[in-house]
Amino acid sequence: MKEIKLPKITFWRAVLVIIWTMGLYATIIRFTKGLGAATNLSDQFPWGIWIGFDILVGVGLAAGGFVITAIVYIFNIKDFKSISRPTVLTAFLGYLLVIGALLFDLGLPYNVWHPIIMWNPHSVMFEVGWCVMLYTTVLFLEFSPLVLERFGFKKPLAFMRSIILPLVILGVLFSTLHQSSLGTLYVIVPDKLHPLWYTGMLPLLFFISAIGGGLAMVIFESYTSSRAFGKELEFSVLAQLGRILVVVLFLLLFIRYKTLSANHALQYIFDGSKESIYFLVEILIGIIIPIILFLIPRIRNNKAGLFLGSVFVLIGFIMNRLNVSITGMARSSGVNYFPTWMEIAITASIVSAGFVIFRYASKYLPVFPEHKPAAGKVEAPLIAAGRSGSRVIWVLGSLLLIVSVGLALEFSSIPKTADVPEEQIESINKVTATELELPAPIEFEKGEDSPGLVTFTHETHVDPDNPNCTGCHTSMFKIKPEKAGAAGSVNMEKLYEQEQCGKCHNGNDSFSVDECEFCHYAE
Amino acid sequence: MNAAILNDMTKCIGCKACTLACKEINGLPKDAPSDVLSSKSWTAIEQKKGINIKRQCMHCNEPACVSACPVGALTKTETGAVTYDAKKCMGCRYCLISCPFSLPTYEWDKPLPKVTKCILCYDNALKKGEQPACTRVCPTGATKFGDRDELIQEAKDRIAKNPDRYVNHIYGLTEAGGTSVIYLSSVPFAELGFPVDRQDEAYPKLTWKVLSQIPNIVSTSGILLLGTWWIINRRIKLENNENNSDDESVINS
Repeated sequence: MKEIKLPKITFWRAVLVIIWTMGLYATIIRFTKGLGAATNLSDQFPWGIWIGFDILVGVGLAAGGFVITAIVYIFNIKDFKSISRPTVLTAFLGYLLVIGALLFDLGLPYNVWHPIIMWNPHSVMFEVGWCVMLYTTVLFLEFSPLVLERFGFKKPLAFMRSIILPLVILGVLFSTLHQSSLGTLYVIVPDKLHPLWYTGMLPLLFFISAIGGGLAMVIFESYTSSRAFGKELEFSVLAQLGRILVVVLFLLLFIRYKTLSANHALQYIFDGSKESIYFLVEILIGIIIPIILFLIPRIRNNKAGLFLGSVFVLIGFIMNRLNVSITGMARSSGVNYFPTWMEIAITASIVSAGFVIFRYASKYLPVFPEHKPAAGKVEAPLIAAGRSGSRVIWVLGSLLLIVSVGLALEFSSIPKTADVPEEQIESINKVTATELELPAPIEFEKGEDSPGLVTFTHETHVDPDNPNCTGCHTSMFKIKPEKAGAAGSVNMEKLYEQEQCGKCHNGNDSFSVDECEFCHYAE
Repeated sequence: MNAAILNDMTKCIGCKACTLACKEINGLPKDAPSDVLSSKSWTAIEQKKGINIKRQCMHCNEPACVSACPVGALTKTETGAVTYDAKKCMGCRYCLISCPFSLPTYEWDKPLPKVTKCILCYDNALKKGEQPACTRVCPTGATKFGDRDELIQEAKDRIAKNPDRYVNHIYGLTEAGGTSVIYLSSVPFAELGFPVDRQDEAYPKLTWKVLSQIPNIVSTSGILLLGTWWIINRRIKLENNENNSDDESVINS
């Protein structure tokens, strides 16, 4: 009998399975029931963490790609070449994941290609879209040598190497444009974004902070992968990045201060509001603490110290993007947005997918300089593509089972709007009639020779499906009692001349005024 | 003609005929609440301090949403109405973010949602030379359709004739660069929740100031990058050559 090997259940694999199961479930809800069912987004708060984290943070942290390639190929500092490949891989993956995340957030994701042919050069979003598209292409080309080398395609590899300089220059240009443009997106909301974050300099701030975040990501990624793959850390190179970071962070601090004082917004820093606290934590964690850490040589020249500093920069960077997109927009929106578990699950699934893909890419592609394609000691991957069919079926099957049980529960708990009973539909129609706020019935004064009291009701004279008040007001009947002259202005003489009520009550459009008892009720 | 609507809140009796007429002409569900703007109520009668406020898209002269839309799904038409083309829209919702009055709404409950807002009945009435449904049914003339310049003149006349009845401000005359929907009120607009600090400059100018710099940024930084590369590379080459010639001289001697 064939033995079925189950994948080893380690802690991280279990976590991954849980995250992805929740993410898959959230994905199904998102695409079958709409954004409202899966997210806490609303007309008042249309952008949540899928924009604030997945897009703004994702793109920013992938900025290491253009910075490192520029250092290596334009400034010709070859020391950095050893980290350029993992950085380009991180950036390429980052952009792919950002585009993937965008498909969750877009209301009509199948129209994502529209900016290619439908142009609006006045739109910041249009420019971001084009630059991200073009830069992802550049990153693909910069990344392609890894694949070409892996499979030994010599000629295309030589060609790619010959065009690397123009590619890098294009990459820097596209990156500069869209990294800053992500900040420009918020330049159009001076009234909505809190003054601690709003400034016309947002494009510049986003660009510089992306360089900071991107470099911190390079340190973080090099450190973690050196531990994960047990390879030597390019430490001297990373320590230099720490030095560059100090300059970047100082610059950032300086511009933040300058713009705040120019906008007379310094007063908000210590006003004790929610915004001021988030702002202070962001500046402290993201700028001041790492500057201090990186300035102390003992810490900067120490692997763990450098890593710690980069983690601070990363947290500060993430806080900055979330503060601009969420904290800073909250007050003006009038609602308190907090993501649903489904929003968080999808974001977590995308981030963890990034880690997993990076791990496999660095295992099978010549990402690290001294890396040799692993032959025998390959660990059993989570979803072992092509290695063991039964294993794949086992994993997929259990995922599907959990998701289908969850979906069944979700759908059964919600009453189906399609099967509303008849009585309820009637009551909805009644609501419609009352929705029109009609004046109280008008009781006419009883004349001397009147056969009975007349009470006029608006309800019987207005079609709620097509309310047309102007048919009677104000050409025939004035509205305010003092102008309408109470019942005095309505008299049977005029009605017989087909004026006032008689205009419609002529026996044709409605019953004739000759039908006395239809209006004059006997007491 | 620059189509516009004058909403005189002193005349509105809150009968909500406008909201129902709007739902009728746009095929929206009649049972949706009409006291708050939503994808199912493109105009709404909101009550504050006993005043009935008719909420709807302001149809800015230079709309932020039109400049924000990456695919040009929103258009300021020649009639003055800001219209929406669902076929172009990809659902990024930057229009909702960018609107200085936060007026566009979204179909959050649909798997394939659209942006929704008042379009001044552009397709159903305006194009045929008719007036929008809401102004057509208003019994008191509280919401009145007309040419923007004429309505502004009328609003000024109304304030001049009844200075006690109105606060001396036409909301929408200058706000956000001017809007096609303008308001008159008996109570200061700030007390009714109108955003009164909106700048007079049109909002698209804010982002255009940045975007129009792109050609400069691209050409300058492109040249700088190439220049840096050329200078550094040349220096390295020269250094290498010097080293090589030194080596040769050593060998030769």
